[in-house]
Amino acid sequence: MAKKAYEKAIKTRYTGKPLKLYDEKKAWVVRWPRALEHHHTYGLLTPFFKGLTQGRLMATRCVNPKCPQQSTWLPPRADCPDCYERMKWVRVPAKGKIYTYTLVDYAGVGIEMKTPYWQIDVEIKGVDTIFKGFLAEGKPYIGMPVKAVFRTKNPTHTILDVWWTPDE
Amino acid sequence: MITFGKGNLRVPKWSKRVFMVAGGCTPFRKYFPEYKLEELVMMAYKMMLEENQLKLSPLEIKDSIQFAVYGEFADHFQDQLLCEAKIHDYLGLDPLFNVGIKTGGATGGSAVLMGAQAIASGYANCCLVAGWERMDEVDTRTGNFYISTAACKDFETRMGRIYSSYYAPMANRFAQIYNLSDEVRAKIAVKNRHYATMNPNAQQPGEHTIEEVLESRMSAYPLRFLECCAMTAGSAAVLLCDEEMAYKLSDHPVELFIAGGSHTLRVADRRPMDIPLLPNEKPGQYDAFLKENPRWPGFESFLAARFAAYLAYRMAGVKDPLEELDLVELHDAFTISDVQTYGDIGLRPYGQEIDYVESGDCYHGGKCPANLSGGLLGTMHAVGATGIWQAVECLWQLQSRYDYFHGDAKWWKRAGKKKPRSWKSLQVKDPRQALWVSHAGVGSHVTVGILRKAW
Repeated sequence: MAKKAYEKAIKTRYTGKPLKLYDEKKAWVVRWPRALEHHHTYGLLTPFFKGLTQGRLMATRCVNPKCPQQSTWLPPRADCPDCYERMKWVRVPAKGKIYTYTLVDYAGVGIEMKTPYWQIDVEIKGVDTIFKGFLAEGKPYIGMPVKAVFRTKNPTHTILDVWWTPDE
Repeated sequence: MITFGKGNLRVPKWSKRVFMVAGGCTPFRKYFPEYKLEELVMMAYKMMLEENQLKLSPLEIKDSIQFAVYGEFADHFQDQLLCEAKIHDYLGLDPLFNVGIKTGGATGGSAVLMGAQAIASGYANCCLVAGWERMDEVDTRTGNFYISTAACKDFETRMGRIYSSYYAPMANRFAQIYNLSDEVRAKIAVKNRHYATMNPNAQQPGEHTIEEVLESRMSAYPLRFLECCAMTAGSAAVLLCDEEMAYKLSDHPVELFIAGGSHTLRVADRRPMDIPLLPNEKPGQYDAFLKENPRWPGFESFLAARFAAYLAYRMAGVKDPLEELDLVELHDAFTISDVQTYGDIGLRPYGQEIDYVESGDCYHGGKCPANLSGGLLGTMHAVGATGIWQAVECLWQLQSRYDYFHGDAKWWKRAGKKKPRSWKSLQVKDPRQALWVSHAGVGSHVTVGILRKAW
């Protein structure tokens, strides 16, 4: 019977890629590459992300009659933090008003948007929270009416599948 | 309207009094290749043991410690899980138990709070609290991205990948509601960066004008580069004791009170709340204010900071913050976060935050100066160390040792710098009480700590 690896004397060798020096003035600093992939689940929020690809803005609402708040959440969350009951999916209007905004100019690595661009926070009627997004065209002001546009073709499967345009 | 349960508002009460006796820190730099992380922490720890006029030798104190709390913001930056074990071993403190604490930008404050709990409960009578961050393993934009994963990865991170873009919407909202001008924000950057010129450890000291701040590069509108803190490598440490050990170790101990509060990671999820009133505020005081700002705390204020202050003032018996505090160290990661906090901790009532700057109260020589250390804008934000270092700066002020730790040539030499001719003392005259705010995210975790002279 063939010997198992742990039963053998083994000779090994280096198969890695040598690190390059980045700096050697005050101390040796080496370049240490990292390349990673995560498998991230949207879990119970999957209907929200799927909804974007179908042109729908889906929020969650607590319908427990005993809940002291019965809030409507967008970004959605599956479980109500006020009464701990599972919430219900509701479609909310794909329009709102700009609550506040900023111009993203200098962005971190991996940015998927052409900079600079206007990042906006949108107040939507019937929703208790504010919803962050970006304004694809125009110049924002607080109170500006906006409507949502959805990436139903070639979706990114991220929050970038919805954006806003002026609605006035 | 969200309300609070009675039990939720119970004021914490230490079972034993808690004291801070010593502090230390490293110089703070953007890039610090000369030392490994554990070597930087050793530098801060040794400074704490050797430079605080303690009555036992460094090794006798080492033999007195029973517990250690370590603050580190992000495993991403260190690229080392269980960094705490490496540091603890390097400080020669095995087999004493230690824990790592992580609450974003409030990590340092939270670590002090956990250390204080160990003292107050009797688990330890001598506890080390140390923190660090090494943000120089990656380039700046990668660092910006790492930090932006402290926004919600599903709904926010992709919208900016830089933290200034989560503060800037608050700045625009604050400007609209409270008439805050760019100039007032710029004054804070000018002040803190100027105070940093007196600090040998400062990373971004500088004499700037308001115009220079406003003409500096835009990060996320309206926040300019000079209104944002930088990424730092460095460490800080404090020693906490019970009453008996505090006086055994020091003739100048300070008593510590600290409490925390929290709020949603996404600022957009903040629903209207009751305003928990500080001891100097009256019921009904905010009725008209709330009619105009029905979404309080909204994008303008931090419930977490207000809640922490609500508890901490009552723990310490502070009745009127502006009158009873001799200095404060605030979390000026961005100029706007500094302004927002003035109302939360009662330096001014909500809606009148700007007056704290315009009245001159916030300056050295003013009623309650802020960030004489140079703050995060001027001196450092090695995140896991920040809330510890702020406490150290308050401690040295209360002990009237500002001049030694900021003016002595040895510290300028250690930092590889020359003491500027323009150096002047920022020691507050006979201070009795100081406060520091340690703050995470867009206000997800906040601690408010109060230090009081106890000799």
